[in-house]
Amino acid sequence: MNTRTLTTAAAAAVLALGVSACGSDSSDDSGSSSSSSGAGETIASQLIMGGPPEFKTRTDGLPGLKKNYGVEFGKYTVTDTGGPVTVNALKNGQIEAADLFTTDPSIAANDFVALEDPKNNFAAQDVLPIINEKKATDGVKTVLNGISAKLTTDGLGDLVSKVQVDKQDPDAVAKGWLSDNGLAGTGTSAKGTTLTVGSANFPENVVLAEIYAEALKAQGASITTKLNIGSREKYYPALKSGSLDLFPEYSGTILTYLDKNATATTPDDVYAALQKALPSNLVALEKSDAQDSDAIVVTKATADKYGLKTIADLAKPAN
Amino acid sequence: MIALADGASSSPLHFVEYFLDHRSEDLGLLWSHTWLSVVPVIVGLLIALPLGWVARRHRWTYPPIMSITGVLYTIPSIALFVLVPPLLGLDTLDPLQVPIALTVYSVALLVRVVADGLASVPEETTQAATAMGFRPLERFFKVELPIAVPVIAAGLRVAVVSNVSIVAVAGTIGLSNLGQLFTQGFQLSTPDAYYPPIVLGIVLCVLLAVVLDSAVVLLNRVLTPWRRAVRT
Amino acid sequence: MIGDVFTWLTDWSHWTDTRFDTGIITQLLAHIRFCAMALAIAMVIALPLGLFIGHTNRGRWLVGAANALRALPTVGVLVLLTVIISPQFQGRTDTGFLIPTVIVLVLLAVPPILANTFAGVQNVDPGVRDAASGMGMTGPQVLFRVELPISLPLIFSGVRSAALQLIATATVASYLPLGGLGRFIYDGLAQQDYPQMIGGGVLVAALALLTDLVLSTVQRYVVSRGITGRYSTKQVGAPDPRLAVVTEAEGARA
Repeated sequence: MNTRTLTTAAAAAVLALGVSACGSDSSDDSGSSSSSSGAGETIASQLIMGGPPEFKTRTDGLPGLKKNYGVEFGKYTVTDTGGPVTVNALKNGQIEAADLFTTDPSIAANDFVALEDPKNNFAAQDVLPIINEKKATDGVKTVLNGISAKLTTDGLGDLVSKVQVDKQDPDAVAKGWLSDNGLAGTGTSAKGTTLTVGSANFPENVVLAEIYAEALKAQGASITTKLNIGSREKYYPALKSGSLDLFPEYSGTILTYLDKNATATTPDDVYAALQKALPSNLVALEKSDAQDSDAIVVTKATADKYGLKTIADLAKPAN
Repeated sequence: MIALADGASSSPLHFVEYFLDHRSEDLGLLWSHTWLSVVPVIVGLLIALPLGWVARRHRWTYPPIMSITGVLYTIPSIALFVLVPPLLGLDTLDPLQVPIALTVYSVALLVRVVADGLASVPEETTQAATAMGFRPLERFFKVELPIAVPVIAAGLRVAVVSNVSIVAVAGTIGLSNLGQLFTQGFQLSTPDAYYPPIVLGIVLCVLLAVVLDSAVVLLNRVLTPWRRAVRT
Repeated sequence: MIGDVFTWLTDWSHWTDTRFDTGIITQLLAHIRFCAMALAIAMVIALPLGLFIGHTNRGRWLVGAANALRALPTVGVLVLLTVIISPQFQGRTDTGFLIPTVIVLVLLAVPPILANTFAGVQNVDPGVRDAASGMGMTGPQVLFRVELPISLPLIFSGVRSAALQLIATATVASYLPLGGLGRFIYDGLAQQDYPQMIGGGVLVAALALLTDLVLSTVQRYVVSRGITGRYSTKQVGAPDPRLAVVTEAEGARA
């Protein structure tokens, strides 16, 4: 009886180990088969692409790359939305191409190459404030439009790298930017307005929200911040229902979120389409010149190996 | 508040400085983490008490109650967090979604604890109480429940400590609690690793778990004076 | 809503892999792989340790220390280990993410197994132990022929409790770019595809229930009938795997 007990227990343990061993085998298979599948095919078919889950279905995601450039990657791995997982996976070679954002300081830090997008697969992504119509008093509009007038793509890049690379406080970075641009003056133009400012959970969006919040606060508005809310799926409903009043957004992304069939790509077309697509209680204030758009990014080694400059190059035959 | 341009160190040991620099935010996160960990356990216990009593009193209800709560317990927390708002028609940022999901877990865990705790009351004791003229409800609150306290307290300890960890999971989908320190630290970990917020989050979570656990132990001692008397 | 989830689950195209989508079968196997690896490692660590501590009564603090591991926030430890470990692995491999995940899961599985093994051996009637020594059994003989078989029901409930926790928690692996059933939950959330998200949750719950069923069947055949028979007169139904630990915590302190 006792020996049998032990034998059975041992058998169970061996079984468990066996299962785990099988598991790892099968996954190795899937990895190698996908990499060796591209005989005589395009460059893209030999590469693994990584990015956010919704990139698989988004109009400007894999479907857009196929439609505009005929690019089809060998495999798609879900990483995250232009965050640390994607950057590290690209850096360490788990993926060869990634969906990152153009202001990401890790592109320069790691010598990554952002491929050009001549056919505008990715729509214009101008930074602009989306605000609850009831809170958009003339005073609030003046403050926010004043910020948009000063914001540039380079300036945005600086802001991000101060937070991301130098690990400064978004709050302090925002205040510094406002005073550098002559926007730090106090006044009463937004007095009497109560606003809840939100941001998504990535550094750039947090700094932008802090800039809005600090500037409005200086003009007498009473501000609550709800920063680092997850993704758009999480915060947009809150914005629509009025639990958030003000949010820094990107014109193209919010447009495709609202209208899955949107076709506008130039900054002005996107802006016009966005005003129509927004529900009646939300308005987009003036857009800034600052762009932070999606880009297909590869490592320098990959770019050199295949001679990649634009996304279209990915559709060329390998060898 | 002060820019730490040069002072910003990525060393794991700099979590203390990180805390001091972001004191008000971090305390806010700690506070919301605390009530998210505690309130669901209390509400869960209030729901579990009558359920456990029914399961104990009417034996035929025991198997169905236990299998239903057992299934509830296996639903992954992340799924429950995102499911609660659409199912109950709440706003996606409604602060109630996490406590509701956690209450489900606490009930699932505590129903069994309450039933087993009541089962630990010796038959002779209940009989003696009945003979002394206690009516069922009175007997439950004055005799059975106090005797079941140690077993229930042991269950509460497990519930409260595991809640602290589960609440942090809700941080990964953007809800405000200590879990956000992990996502923020992770976000800032490119191009180089940035440990302070991550380590700070772990330290605060562990401290919170230890404090809450000790509180339950203390409560158990206060509520069961006779056990101390026997021990000495 | 429920109809949509059912449609999602019964659509065969969601079960198989395509070029860009990983199907349910592959993710299910990946999920089982993390959990089985973690459970196996945790058993290799916790079983001998628990038997040793219970038998010799030395190093009891280890059980308490292991219990303290429960206070560690899973996500935090996962992020910390990933930041440290993942840059060490280059190339098309998920090892850099797999190792942190498995470590986190092992940390989760060790406490219930260790605590229950220890409690199982400790709870053996001293009279039985004396009788065994009196019959001339050596220390190891007492441990393996008497204490281990008698404590098997408690050990099993520890393993079952660990397995349940692993299966539910392995979903956080998808916070990193790893597979597993959590993928459907996180991806469904990001794609606003609620049937996919709920379907993922349903699959996890189903896997947990099935695993518990399998383990309880194994338990039925492994545990001596003499012990189970005596057990059933003492308790209503089988001991709940979730709570074996609770009773242990009490037992150890009392």
